[in-house]
Order: sequence, then structure tokens, then C-alpha cells
Amino acid sequence: MALMPKRVKHRKSQRGRIKGNATRGNHVVFGDFGLQTVQGGWVSAATIEAGRIAAQQYLRAEGRLYIRIFPHKSVTSIPLETRMGKGKGEPDFWAAVVRPGTVLYEIGGVTEAAARLCFTRLAHKMPVKVRFIRRRAM
Amino acid sequence: MAEVLQVEVRQSRGKRNSRRMRRAGTIPAVLYGHGEETVSLAVRTDAMQAAVRHGSHVVELAGAVQQSALIREMQWDVWGKGILHVDFARVSADETVEVVVSVELRGQSPGVKEGGIVEHLVREVEIECKATSVPEKLVVNINHLKLGEAITVADLALPEGAKCHGDPVAIVAHCVLPVAAPEEEEVIEGGEAEPEVIGGRKEEEEGEAE
Repeated sequence: MALMPKRVKHRKSQRGRIKGNATRGNHVVFGDFGLQTVQGGWVSAATIEAGRIAAQQYLRAEGRLYIRIFPHKSVTSIPLETRMGKGKGEPDFWAAVVRPGTVLYEIGGVTEAAARLCFTRLAHKMPVKVRFIRRRAM
Repeated sequence: MAEVLQVEVRQSRGKRNSRRMRRAGTIPAVLYGHGEETVSLAVRTDAMQAAVRHGSHVVELAGAVQQSALIREMQWDVWGKGILHVDFARVSADETVEVVVSVELRGQSPGVKEGGIVEHLVREVEIECKATSVPEKLVVNINHLKLGEAITVADLALPEGAKCHGDPVAIVAHCVLPVAAPEEEEVIEGGEAEPEVIGGRKEEEEGEAE
């Protein structure tokens, strides 16, 4: 099941702008290796789930996958063949807003070669350019 | 043997000068402590990165300032690759310092062959020890870690005279059976499941009561 918040203050949100780089959530914390975005964008809940499945299928019972992003933003859309106007559309999907530098996923308990292969599979699902990073020494 | 870093005294201040320095291959740094004057320094980027890569906590400054120093704090860029700034704190050989040291697992757990996985839970611990005996990292041998067993902070092999500030019963690593992924029971009916709106339903109920 795709991720979404349990409770929200408002059902609909404004689109917003993605400015600057990630100053938080931009390094590996839980695992040994991470997948870091180099672009800003929205990652939908379905995409996060697709990435999780792709990684889990590769990892199977080995290692552990950590998802570092959560879709807090509701994205609305107007139905097809509807005239413009008549107010804002209804929530369509939920998305995580990511800035360049955000770590999307982390893996622990596997070798670097396995983590690279796993993230390569996962990266194909992502709507943003990503890169492989390691845990920082200090 | 502490890593030796060649440093120069830096006269330039401000973000523009710092950026120029970084482009030219040096990192702005500062040295303070022991009630002495604070000195602005510049250190070679490659040397500093090598020291970090080797896990050095106490370094030997050479050049404009000749002193032992503890790497107290480092600022990293957004990508976590480049070092932006370093704080050095003066230390003497007999001084006790508090440092955060990484914990590394070595070996192959026999529990893995039985279908378990090794989870590394505590990756850093804060220890208090002599400045001369700060370890680069704490190595934990997991060759004897069987399925269902755990290594705690109290089991860590610390240098002589060192004390660990962490919770002694905290689990550093354990070998457990992998947790099966939860069954996907919750099916969205018509794809219209929505989160609860804070304050929304309450108002509706109040309206109905009236």
C-alpha cells in the first residue's frame, strides 16, 4: 500500500517551489550506503513503493532497506474532459518533495557491490537523477 | 602516530574569501582552546580529507602553528563530500578528551549461515580517553556472534583507561532472523482512502448533534 499521512491539517496544498539544496536528510544515517538525489522534484507515493519493491526483490532476506522520504504533500488534479474553473481539483496522489542532496533510500548489512546493483535497479524507478553515496567517516 | 597537517595562518575572513580558498584547494579552519587566543588557519583540502578518511581524531598541526589538536567539528557541503570548515581544539598529551568514535564490525557471523542477518544498530559511541590514545575506530569481532545473540556497548573493547558514555546495555549489533514483510491486507476501496482532516470531522459531528 502506498504511503500517505494518517492525519492532515488541510486536504489540499499549494504547489510550492523547490529552492536551494537539502540541508537536512542529506547524508547516510541508518545504513551503510545511500541513494542521493541530485535534482529537486516530487517523488510520488507510488514511486516510493515501486522503489521499495524493486530493492526488496533484489535484497530478498539479506540486508535492510531504509526509506528516508515520506509523501506529505497532496497533489490535486482536475478530471479529464472537464472545463477549466470551478475551483481546485480533488487530491490525486501524495508526493514527497525532495531537494538536491536528499537521501531517498539507504541500505545496510550488504556489500558495496550488492548495494550498487540494488540501487541501480531502484534508480530506474526514480523521477530524479540520483547517485550512490557511502556513509561518511566523521 | 597522529596525522600531521600543514597549516597556514589565515588573514582573510568572510564567505567570499573562504570560497576562493576552497576553490584554490585549501579549507578554512580555526584553532581554539586552553584559554589561548583563537587563530584562523588554512589547511590543505587533500591532507584534511586523508586525515578524515583514516579516522584521525587528534592531529599534529605543523607549519605556522605547531601543536596537537582535536578535530572538534567539521562542516560538510550539501553532498556530504567536501569539507567546508574545520574546528580544531588545542589538546595536550595528558589531557582527557571526549570524542565520538565509529564502531566497525569485522568478520562473518555464524548466525548468517543459519538464516539470520546481522543488524548494526549503534554505529558511533562517545568515549572519554587520553588524547594520545584516541582510537581511529572501535573494531568489533562478530566471528562468534550466533543467531539470537547480541553485542552490547559494555562488550566493546576500549583503549586502556577509556570510559564509554553510551548506555552499556544498548545493542551494538545482533544476529536475528529477518522480519517478514507485512501482508498487504489494507486494500484501498475504490482508491479513495484519504487521511483524516484535523478538525474537519469534529465540526461535522457537532453540526449533526445540533
